[in-house]
Amino acid sequence: MIFTGLTFTQVLTVLGAVGAGVVVLYLLKLRRRRIEVPFVKLWEEILAEKQTTRLFSQLKRWLSLLIALLIVAALAFALGDPRSEGATREGRSLVVLVDASASMQATDLPDGQSRFDGARDALRELIAGMGPADRMLVAQLDASATPLSPLTGDPRVLEDAVEALEPLDVAANPRAGLRLALDVLRDQPEAEVILLSDGILDQDRFDTAAFADRLAASAIAFSWEKLGEAESNVGIGAFSVRRYPLDKSQSEVLVELYNPTDEERSVELELLGDGESVDVQRLTVHGGERLRRFFRNVSGVDQALEARLRPADGKPDHLPADDRAWARLPQRRRARVVVYSAGNLYLQAALLLDEYLEVEEASPADYPLAGDYDVAIFDSWVPPSPPSTPALYLYPRPASDGAWTPLTVQGEMDAPYFDRIERRHPLMQWTALGDVNVATALEVDLEPGDRAVAGDTRGPLIVVGDRQDQPFVAFTFDVRQSDLPLRVAWPLLLLNTIDLFVQERDGFVSSYETGQTWYVPVAGGAREATIVDPEGHEREVPVVEGRAVYAGQRAGMYTLRVGDTEDTFAANLGPGAESIIDPPDTLTLAGAEAGEPSEGEPGVRREIWIYLVLLALGIVAVEWFTYHRRLTV
Amino acid sequence: MGLFGQRRKTAPARQTDEDLFDEELQRRLEVLALVARKIYRGRQRAERRTRKTGAGIEFADHREYAPGDDFRYLDLNVYQRTGRLLIRLFEEEEDLSVYVIVDTSRSMEMGSPAKLDYAKRIAAALSYVALANLDRVSVLGFSDQMKSRLAPTRGKNRIFKVFEFLRPLEADGHTDLRTALRTFAAQNKRRGVAILISDLYDPQGFEDGINQLRYAKFDPYVLHVIDPNDARPPLHGDVRLVDHETGETREVTVTPRILEKFAKAHAEYLHRIQEFCGTKQVTYHALPTDVPFDEAILGILRSGGLLA
Repeated sequence: MIFTGLTFTQVLTVLGAVGAGVVVLYLLKLRRRRIEVPFVKLWEEILAEKQTTRLFSQLKRWLSLLIALLIVAALAFALGDPRSEGATREGRSLVVLVDASASMQATDLPDGQSRFDGARDALRELIAGMGPADRMLVAQLDASATPLSPLTGDPRVLEDAVEALEPLDVAANPRAGLRLALDVLRDQPEAEVILLSDGILDQDRFDTAAFADRLAASAIAFSWEKLGEAESNVGIGAFSVRRYPLDKSQSEVLVELYNPTDEERSVELELLGDGESVDVQRLTVHGGERLRRFFRNVSGVDQALEARLRPADGKPDHLPADDRAWARLPQRRRARVVVYSAGNLYLQAALLLDEYLEVEEASPADYPLAGDYDVAIFDSWVPPSPPSTPALYLYPRPASDGAWTPLTVQGEMDAPYFDRIERRHPLMQWTALGDVNVATALEVDLEPGDRAVAGDTRGPLIVVGDRQDQPFVAFTFDVRQSDLPLRVAWPLLLLNTIDLFVQERDGFVSSYETGQTWYVPVAGGAREATIVDPEGHEREVPVVEGRAVYAGQRAGMYTLRVGDTEDTFAANLGPGAESIIDPPDTLTLAGAEAGEPSEGEPGVRREIWIYLVLLALGIVAVEWFTYHRRLTV
Repeated sequence: MGLFGQRRKTAPARQTDEDLFDEELQRRLEVLALVARKIYRGRQRAERRTRKTGAGIEFADHREYAPGDDFRYLDLNVYQRTGRLLIRLFEEEEDLSVYVIVDTSRSMEMGSPAKLDYAKRIAAALSYVALANLDRVSVLGFSDQMKSRLAPTRGKNRIFKVFEFLRPLEADGHTDLRTALRTFAAQNKRRGVAILISDLYDPQGFEDGINQLRYAKFDPYVLHVIDPNDARPPLHGDVRLVDHETGETREVTVTPRILEKFAKAHAEYLHRIQEFCGTKQVTYHALPTDVPFDEAILGILRSGGLLA
């Protein structure tokens, strides 16, 4: 027994001082109350009989004093905070990583319990089994590793951490978990990392090999408690939607179903648009197959699409998390376009293809037209000064020497070819320009920030850049002196340019992947935005370079709020790694194979002072009760 | 034993003198006198006659036999005819002297109401009845010795003298019945009824005192003033008991069992007094102070023998 509060000498000092006080008070208490009675002789018979019990009475008095001293001793020793030698021995230092990835939502445990609930129960058992000197840190392992408690031996704090755990729609990141555990357990005695998981970790993306040396060099044990055993699951591996470029009232939807098991499954796939059922298909997915299905010409849907998957063969589907997917259609907006041209039938015809364009035609002499336009197209003519709108310049030859032009013209080049094309640029989407013939093109100089997205080895043919804070696209050749207007690429290039300017397609994705950092476009110059997740939780997020930055971990429809405007976007599980819910037999992280979790040695609480105080209170309570019941007087 | 000791007040409540003989008391005394007169008339007895068993020659009346009566005075003829045990009463041809002897020892100031106050009222009431009956009344106070005396007087209007005598009587000294009553007997040669009003808390014993009256041929009546709280004092815990008269102390740890035993001892003490009086033909009346004094007086009168 050692004293971690007051020293033993101090305890004895307190005990001696207070005990002496108690004795003095007791002696004072022994001075009996003086009561006058009319005839004391009557009491003598009783007192004579009472002599026989005098010994017992004396004994009671001494017992009373002893009890009082016992109370004082209990409180004095409580101040010393005594602990057993064993209690002060270093206990285990545990970091428990609770897998909160999507696969942990599989409901294959008895009574329909999910693996995540099983992990919670297992964690509670670990807490209950902790020894007096054991300490534990609970962390949630999802796309990152989040500690939910300090390294503590207090069961209440750990229970609070258990309650704070929540499953998410992401793949588990073992690298983050291992890094956290190794950092926390550095130089800790009896250190152990316990992973409560189904063992389905995204080791392809989050390789843990870098920690192998560190784990091997430390004395940290690595153990795993396996949760789950079933593999029956079919999920949605991918879900995407796009509007047809030339008919934006209709969409094309891609759904990929993934059957990670060996057996063939029959499923029912339902497509919902803006909450209403649009289509239902019954499909068969072979074992291991990734089955892609397109829903073409989907109309009547304005914003959100959802895919739902249900088993149609009566067999179980243990993971509901990958049975739903969401997608957001790009917002449609009527763009106002002004065309300054002396007359160009190819241009007029191409612009008529998109019914969502509001086109105004004017001659260069009318420049500038009054009104607010999204895009200005200058056909073989350059305005005298940079326009205040995004601009498309077709063959921007200066009207005279020294006149302003977006690109400095050095000369002309004959028969250029589209040798170099940035096919990933949004402007180049769905276009094929490799065999386009051009008679002649301007030879121009690029300014810093300008980008040639297509061109000849001698010079650019299509340039993208900014002038006076307004974006522009310039075709350095006259389309009428080429066969481009005869190709599908011509209207696509025009529409892609307009889409680029009105930011319809700029960074638009139909759904984000959970567990990744999202950069969601934000209109205007806002510095902050609010994101409301599918659970209704709001979070303020920063806006960096016109995009709200957020790491979402739940699948579903999100709301992005900037000022008074709201927009929605969708998020889904990743490509399907979490759909494989068959737990492995063994688990190896950082080159170490996981063992069984160690067992603690549950014992009494280390804080003996609590029992001493309870003893003192108990004695006082008994004393109070017996006194008022006249049992001891 | 106990950490939670509580102190309870046990100081006796003291009634003021002004309350003792007020108009209300006098009105009640009038009622008592009237009632007493009816009682006596029903028995056809004349005034100024003693009524003593065996002390006179002329037969006066019968009364019911009570345990302790001298059975030499049993009327055997009546018993043969009716089967009832009756005691023959004889008249003496002399004025009846009534001595009201009030205990003024310190123990009499205890109780609520104080036993002395109660005793004073009883004494006043009996005196008034006797005065109204034209008897010679003398009132005396004593503790360890005779302390004060109201000379024998007669006539109803002298009741105020009695009041004046009783009013200043204070509780003081310890009880010594034997000495005090021997002195009384020596000082009062004219025999008569000696009414002793006391709590009989005499460390030497009550027997010798009462016997002094018997031996001196007085007709003793013992009116025992009892405070009901004496039997069950509100005590608990470790206490030092101090005798209010003698200052003698006893230490005791009062428990419910002890209180039970004390109540039993007290009851035995009362029984011993009653038994003694019975065997010695001394009329005994217990007067608990929680009984209104006029009710107590009527009870005494109805039982017969006293004053009529």
